[in-house]
Amino acid sequence: MSAAIVLAGLTRAFDGAAAVSHLHLSVDVGEVVLVEGSNGSGKSTLLKVVATALSPTFGSGSVLGADLVRDRSWIRGRVELLGHEPRAYADLTAVENLRFVCALYGLPGALAEPALERVGLAEVATVRAGSFSRGMRQRLALARAVMRDPDVLLLDEPYSGLDALARLLVEDLVDEARERGHTVLLASHERPRPGLVHRTVRMDAGRLHEEART
Amino acid sequence: MSVVPAVMSAVAAKDLRMEARGRHAASSVMPFAVTMLLAFGFALGPDRPLLAQTAAGLLWLSATFAAVDLFHRAYRTESDDGALGGLLLAPGAAGGVYLGKAAAAAVQLWLLVVATGLLVALLFGLPVTHHPLLLLMVAAAGVVGLSAIGSLFGLLTVLGRRQAALPVLVLPLVSPVLIAAIRATQAAVSGDPGQAAGWLSVLAAFDAAFLALGYLVYGHLLED
Repeated sequence: MSAAIVLAGLTRAFDGAAAVSHLHLSVDVGEVVLVEGSNGSGKSTLLKVVATALSPTFGSGSVLGADLVRDRSWIRGRVELLGHEPRAYADLTAVENLRFVCALYGLPGALAEPALERVGLAEVATVRAGSFSRGMRQRLALARAVMRDPDVLLLDEPYSGLDALARLLVEDLVDEARERGHTVLLASHERPRPGLVHRTVRMDAGRLHEEART
Repeated sequence: MSVVPAVMSAVAAKDLRMEARGRHAASSVMPFAVTMLLAFGFALGPDRPLLAQTAAGLLWLSATFAAVDLFHRAYRTESDDGALGGLLLAPGAAGGVYLGKAAAAAVQLWLLVVATGLLVALLFGLPVTHHPLLLLMVAAAGVVGLSAIGSLFGLLTVLGRRQAALPVLVLPLVSPVLIAAIRATQAAVSGDPGQAAGWLSVLAAFDAAFLALGYLVYGHLLED
């Protein structure tokens, strides 16, 4: 099986302090990997580096065979990072927010409505995102992932602020990505339902400590 | 449509739609510009010829100071909810994002300059009827230059929260644009279209240079 994500001795430092240090990781295409770790362990930094939102300080890496530094633009077209912030504009409606994403990625705007339907926001499609609760904003962010259908999905604490129903939605999306042979890196300090992930890796103080196949 | 024009028009339309709904700039930038003009008017006194002589400078000065706030606000909406991260991760879109932000700022500034220009005409006796089309073109060229610089450095206000650095960076750099816009406006209102056209060409050259610089540099500022 070919590798979707390869990191070799990857270090990312902020003001001289390494958030991720000498990290080696290989994730196969179609694999779902849980990255466990407490707050500040480096999970978010790892995902941001894979998404090319941050450059490695040392070391190298590739996503779907493309170099993390040289081929950033190509990688960005194939990766979706759902981070702590939902990235929604308060003065735009839910559907306008998604159509804007479509324009940025060269996708047809018609994808927006079905994506909102999928995450249960169809009834508030024309309501401004500024009036949404945190959970609804998280759902809007999930709709972005549904719409883009990326080859590599990076989920950073996706359960944060979600109710039980929305948690199921996240896990359904991971399942669907897996069925389509897409790769998922899920960073969370909460355990997903059994059987959702193929493998678990643990981060502590910026280092990858243990690895277990589930 | 290729990536850059599509992203540019999407970002510009998004910014203008948000401004039309939120009226953030209209509610703060416009009153600021009007207050500045009135303050200048009272400071200079009732000397009508002096007011008319200085009107072009006052108009562009008030527009420039008001523009600094507009550039800051244009990026504050990007920092809420981490929207800027979405722009960063859009593939090959940095140049389009910059041009879109600059285009939206230019439209808003043009409306501001036209509105304050009418006020200046009314209060200070600026003769705007000699060459109205030329004046509108000068206004357009001037605001494009201001927007090209402000939309580049406005990004710094959300990267590392260096809001205080915006006027320090922007005001010295806009000086050539400001001088050319003032001279073109003065020439147009004093009935010298030839000289106005000359200054308009200088403005256009500044616009092209600053837009090209912003287009090339923006992606590097946006990264990391």
